[in-house]
Amino acid sequence: MTSRRAFLAGLMAVAAPKPSWADAGSPRWLACAREADGAYALFGLAADGADTFRLPLPARGHAGAAHPTRPEAVAFARRPGAFALVLDCATGALIRDLTPPDGMQFNGHGAFTAEGDILYTVEQRATDSRGFLGIWDSAYRRIGQIETGGIGPHEMLRLPGGGFAVANGGIATDPADRTKLNLPDMAPSLVYVEDDAIAEEVTLDPALHFASIRHLAHEDGTLAFAMQWEGPAGQVVPLLGLHRRGAAPILASAPGPEQALMQGYAGSVAFSQGEVAITSPRGGRLHRFDARGAFLGATPRADICGLAPCPGGFLTTDGGGGVLRVTGGQARPLGLRPRAWDNHIVTL
Amino acid sequence: MRLSLAFGLFLAATPALTTPALADVEAVLDTHILPGTAAFAEAAQALETSAAADCRPEHVQPAWNAAMDAWMGIGHLRLGPQEQAALTIAFWPDSRNSGRRTLARVIESEDPLGTDAEDFAQVSAAARGLYALETMLYDPQFSGYAADSYECRLVQVMTEDLAEQAGDLDGAWRRKFAPELRHAGEPDNALFLSEAEAERALFTQLHGGVEFNADQRLGQVLGTPGRPVPARAETWRSGRSLRNLTLSMEALHRMARALAEGPVPAVDEAFDAVAYFAEGIEDPAFQDVTDPAAHVRLESLQGQIRMVGDALSLAIGEAMGIAPGFNALDGD
Repeated sequence: MTSRRAFLAGLMAVAAPKPSWADAGSPRWLACAREADGAYALFGLAADGADTFRLPLPARGHAGAAHPTRPEAVAFARRPGAFALVLDCATGALIRDLTPPDGMQFNGHGAFTAEGDILYTVEQRATDSRGFLGIWDSAYRRIGQIETGGIGPHEMLRLPGGGFAVANGGIATDPADRTKLNLPDMAPSLVYVEDDAIAEEVTLDPALHFASIRHLAHEDGTLAFAMQWEGPAGQVVPLLGLHRRGAAPILASAPGPEQALMQGYAGSVAFSQGEVAITSPRGGRLHRFDARGAFLGATPRADICGLAPCPGGFLTTDGGGGVLRVTGGQARPLGLRPRAWDNHIVTL
Repeated sequence: MRLSLAFGLFLAATPALTTPALADVEAVLDTHILPGTAAFAEAAQALETSAAADCRPEHVQPAWNAAMDAWMGIGHLRLGPQEQAALTIAFWPDSRNSGRRTLARVIESEDPLGTDAEDFAQVSAAARGLYALETMLYDPQFSGYAADSYECRLVQVMTEDLAEQAGDLDGAWRRKFAPELRHAGEPDNALFLSEAEAERALFTQLHGGVEFNADQRLGQVLGTPGRPVPARAETWRSGRSLRNLTLSMEALHRMARALAEGPVPAVDEAFDAVAYFAEGIEDPAFQDVTDPAAHVRLESLQGQIRMVGDALSLAIGEAMGIAPGFNALDGD
């Protein structure tokens, strides 16, 4: 027998269908940018690279987390983060302004569970940069936190099967700014989190302890991690790692001179149909590898950083306002916008 | 390694629509870059011919110096085909002496790679190009070889490899990259999505070249406070540290004039000041840097060069609506 309450809920559902991403113009991606007048905003991007929506942000954004079903995005400030705004991308309404607990700072990234009932935010303790994941329920109430097992965590990524990967960048920063405090002793790591506990930790050879593990992508059981070199300038090191659970990581490089052009810096990483790519805004190039780490080629583009999979290859954005599609290493412009795209593209 | 900044559009100050016409990009290509890459290819060819005729250092040195002079005319360009080619043509600074160490190993084992120009392209970048040749021609630990020695053949191979690279570089500029710059903003052009982007790319090279002269050509030898490092001066064994710097600044001045479509007084004055301070440098190899008075003179020259960078940013960059790259500078 149907209860009155369930009956009413059913009626409501018919009368007012749940909002979905279609209500926000069905964007495929989200990205933050600085606009021509110096203001900051979050944009929705359609499959052809066109804007679907624009929502103003109070300051420079970094990355975001998109709710799997509801047209809601969490826009994170660049670290150390003062804000994480939960935005209704259909109406433009500010649903929630998340604040980390006293003494904690957002670090620019976060992720929802597959069901969208929990949001995790990557955070660090201001005093010592110890890493945490803040846990928020579906009404964006803080319900707890867990440690990431490292210093200065940066990106986290939801994995198929329910777990998450977290990049512990290893860099302790000044509580008030981004001054790096511990470079000689930095010890980055990559961790897998399952049921709110660390299930596996991956570290690199001590000779590479200056390689800050910062960004993540995943496909077919392989986790790709992108690194930024904090060691002596001029030392040419791998910037991409590939890891499968329980195995040793594989490090991937382009041939010598080409690798040197990345300037020791990878800003984003993405997987697309068996290819993995990293971008270097400092080197002005994108590097593609196969899933076993063999170098496939370089694609130049000034100040390129934003990177996401798209059919046939990768979508990229850059500080010059360009939106490009890179297929088989060949770039094609989709548009040039009067704005400087920020570091990341979030795929819906 | 060179850490140059990518320059982006300074969106807040000047909308892209107000940037000047493409004439300046054409001028930079036609009066500066393409004549420069052709001259370098020719000089590298002459160097190969010279070494083939007589491989001994005293015979090869004049042609090597001419090739170095030609490289200084374009060495600041690190885009397009030259981005990677610059590493294998002109690997400097080499703070870990990789070039000397690799050459020593190749010679010690009489590695067959050193006897064939095509194979030689596989050796590490530090052991190829102009700077590795300086080691062979001027470093007493290497330059004592005889006309029929392994090293003699190695030097010939190194000059063949360099001539090949220089010819490829000139060809790649002409066939591919110059057209990309000229056709900025056309629908299929994924390198330069607008004319402003092409101008920005050239300005980045100009500014980066000036920074390189201050930070590397002088910064390396000046070292850290109280610890100058004479052995880090560029090509000090051939005594041409100051000549490289001077020729490079002259080339950058010509490029600035082409890019700005004429003289810009503030920029000209800054370049003139550099020339004036350079005249006061006594040791052309900067080996007197350990003398406090000489150190001050080199530091003053470095300061003048930095002021050229500032003048370029203010008088040309800002007028073109250009500021350092958004993501390249921020990091994360």
